[in-house]
Amino acid sequence: MTESLDPRIRRADLEASPASSGLKQNEHWETYAIFHQDKRGAAHEFVGIVHAPDPELALVFAKEQFGRRKKTVNLWAVRSSDIYTFQHEDDDMFSTVPDKNYREASGYPVRKRINKYLFDQKEEEASKA
Amino acid sequence: MNNAIKDLLFRLADDELVLGHRNSEWTGLGPILEEDIAFSSIAQDQIGHAVANYTLLHESAAADEPLPDAIAFGRNEKQFFSSQFTELPIGDYAFSLIRHFLFDHAEMLRYELLTASSFAPLAALARKIKGELKYHVLHADLWVSKLGQGTEESRARMQTALNEAWPYALGMFEPSDYEAELVTNGIFSGEEGLQESWLEVVAPIIEKAGLTIPQASEPKYGGRHGYHTEHLQPLLDEMTEVYRLDPAAIW
Amino acid sequence: MYGNAYIEPDSELAAKMAASREEDPEKLAEFEARIARGEKIEPDDWMPAEYRRQLLRMIEQHAHSEIIGALPEGTWITRAPTLRRKLALIAKVQDEVGHGHLLYSAAETLGKSREAMINDLISGKSKYSNIFNYPAKTWADIAVIGFLVDAGAIVNQLANAKGSYGPYCRALERICYEESFHLKQGYDAFVALAVGTPVQREMLQDALNRWWFPPMMHFFGPPDTISVHTEKLMRWKVKMASNEEMRQDFIEQYVPKIWELGMTLPDPALRKDEATGVWEYTQPDWDEFFRVINGDGLCNKERLAVRRYAEENGRWVREALMNPIQKRMVPYA
Ligand SMILES: [Fe+2]
Ligand SMILES: [Fe+2]
Ligand SMILES: [Fe+2]
Repeated sequence: MTESLDPRIRRADLEASPASSGLKQNEHWETYAIFHQDKRGAAHEFVGIVHAPDPELALVFAKEQFGRRKKTVNLWAVRSSDIYTFQHEDDDMFSTVPDKNYREASGYPVRKRINKYLFDQKEEEASKA
Repeated sequence: MNNAIKDLLFRLADDELVLGHRNSEWTGLGPILEEDIAFSSIAQDQIGHAVANYTLLHESAAADEPLPDAIAFGRNEKQFFSSQFTELPIGDYAFSLIRHFLFDHAEMLRYELLTASSFAPLAALARKIKGELKYHVLHADLWVSKLGQGTEESRARMQTALNEAWPYALGMFEPSDYEAELVTNGIFSGEEGLQESWLEVVAPIIEKAGLTIPQASEPKYGGRHGYHTEHLQPLLDEMTEVYRLDPAAIW
Repeated sequence: MYGNAYIEPDSELAAKMAASREEDPEKLAEFEARIARGEKIEPDDWMPAEYRRQLLRMIEQHAHSEIIGALPEGTWITRAPTLRRKLALIAKVQDEVGHGHLLYSAAETLGKSREAMINDLISGKSKYSNIFNYPAKTWADIAVIGFLVDAGAIVNQLANAKGSYGPYCRALERICYEESFHLKQGYDAFVALAVGTPVQREMLQDALNRWWFPPMMHFFGPPDTISVHTEKLMRWKVKMASNEEMRQDFIEQYVPKIWELGMTLPDPALRKDEATGVWEYTQPDWDEFFRVINGDGLCNKERLAVRRYAEENGRWVREALMNPIQKRMVPYA
């Protein structure tokens, strides 16, 4: 191999380093899901995962990977295996939600009926006169 | 008084530049991606602190001091007032972490004292970077405690690193020629008191990590007066390699 | 209904994938309809084995490219000529490591562990973008890489960000945002040299001469022959644009910026046909392309050796904090 152009690598003595035997399963520890809050009053939002051996280091790692650019006031780290979730294939459980307008303010168009009532009253008065 | 402030700012800035430079040698080569990113941020913060202090030198302390780049890239080792601790090669990750731990605790306490400095721009800077230093120290404490209590190998590496680092760490508190002046004028309360509070903070953490502070070490002094190990001049030669192609050019 | 998908050894996964090669036509139709509607596929969705395999290969290679890409630029971290350039370069290389992290995370959702991916990288089994097998010889290379190579990456990544796989799109969204900083800081360093002293201009021209063909070749590859295979990948929104479309886009956006500064590119045939709007250029040396891909580039050996060294060097740190009772799972997103 020709000499590296990187002085950091020239100092590292690549030849002397032991031959790689490969990484073991779990050598990158567990994963933690990271939730990011950009300002007080805002909800924490999932932004990604970090590999960490414990929750403290997960937060310390998350601070730089997910807080070094965005405005941040707080982070949560949650062990990925502690998250329970539905499967996306079951999203039909939610599919009739938009139909249920009895839950929505927009499902109660009272103005229409008031206007009709006012109109009828006016008609009645006009016919009396 | 002006010389005292200048000397203080040089010490602060040069420490940060040299150590930030060293720590950036890990960028892209760290032990795991997440830590690579974290340590790289710490290196950037340190170089950022150097820039801030060089800017103070240029703007507030002495009109004859040049722009930060010229101060940083235009001097040789005799003109650097960083402690020898900062210029030592990065070693293994244990050494870099131990140095980060010992240095950043000293730095945190130093800037805490400086928040009360009568030199207002420095006091303002000290308040501004408090949060960054808090993170550095949190990062360092976690690693020292976890690797100290990890495997036999990690404990041994951390202990070896601590043994090597310790006398140089003590060298961070080498008194300057202006101690009395700095104290009397309320600019900085002095190295001796700083070293005491530093020891009070780091000793219990080291002990809890299962590591032992080496006995009877002579502090490695000299850096604060421009006397360095064989490592600083090569570091500066490397750092300024491109800059020296044409110092008058705009890069 | 509740999911907790633990990572399986990769050989088992491969066997399972092979077994399911015969896809259920009903599920396949549903899957394709979802993509056609512009909806994203999430990790726990049913997907054809071929889709999973192609995506995993693509995202994994992309992740490798980011962390190997940190090496040529890392070459100049300790020598950046001003404090601001030093900070910007460290931050940029840090971002590339961060991109590697985000992309490995996206790839992990497809069922391969990060350890297995890194093993495949350092053993040479898995590929990465060959653009990073060229050396960064001078400081001007950093300006040209930051400008041109990141520009090529942006063209590529913006296209892929509109793909069908949710986790990959989410990662690319953030990556593209950071790439725009890379491009801008690279352009800034580029302009500084171009408007600088004769020595600086000469450095820049030399770097341009060396760095023009690599992105033209390796970012976009040979013009694709539209096979049934690529047609399927485009229908599945795994491949978002043809190689030639992206190359044209790249030339159109960046060549005028280089010429504007009076710098030249080492291709006398490079010109825009004003009638058709299509750029003409000399075909890059596709033999070199295949030579570099097959491991014979200037820096292939060093890049892998450095990666191996970094992994070996960090092993004791990782092992010290390993916990035997940890149960790793495939991340949900
Ligand atoms: Fe600092
Ligand atoms: Fe990137
Ligand atoms: Fe980039």
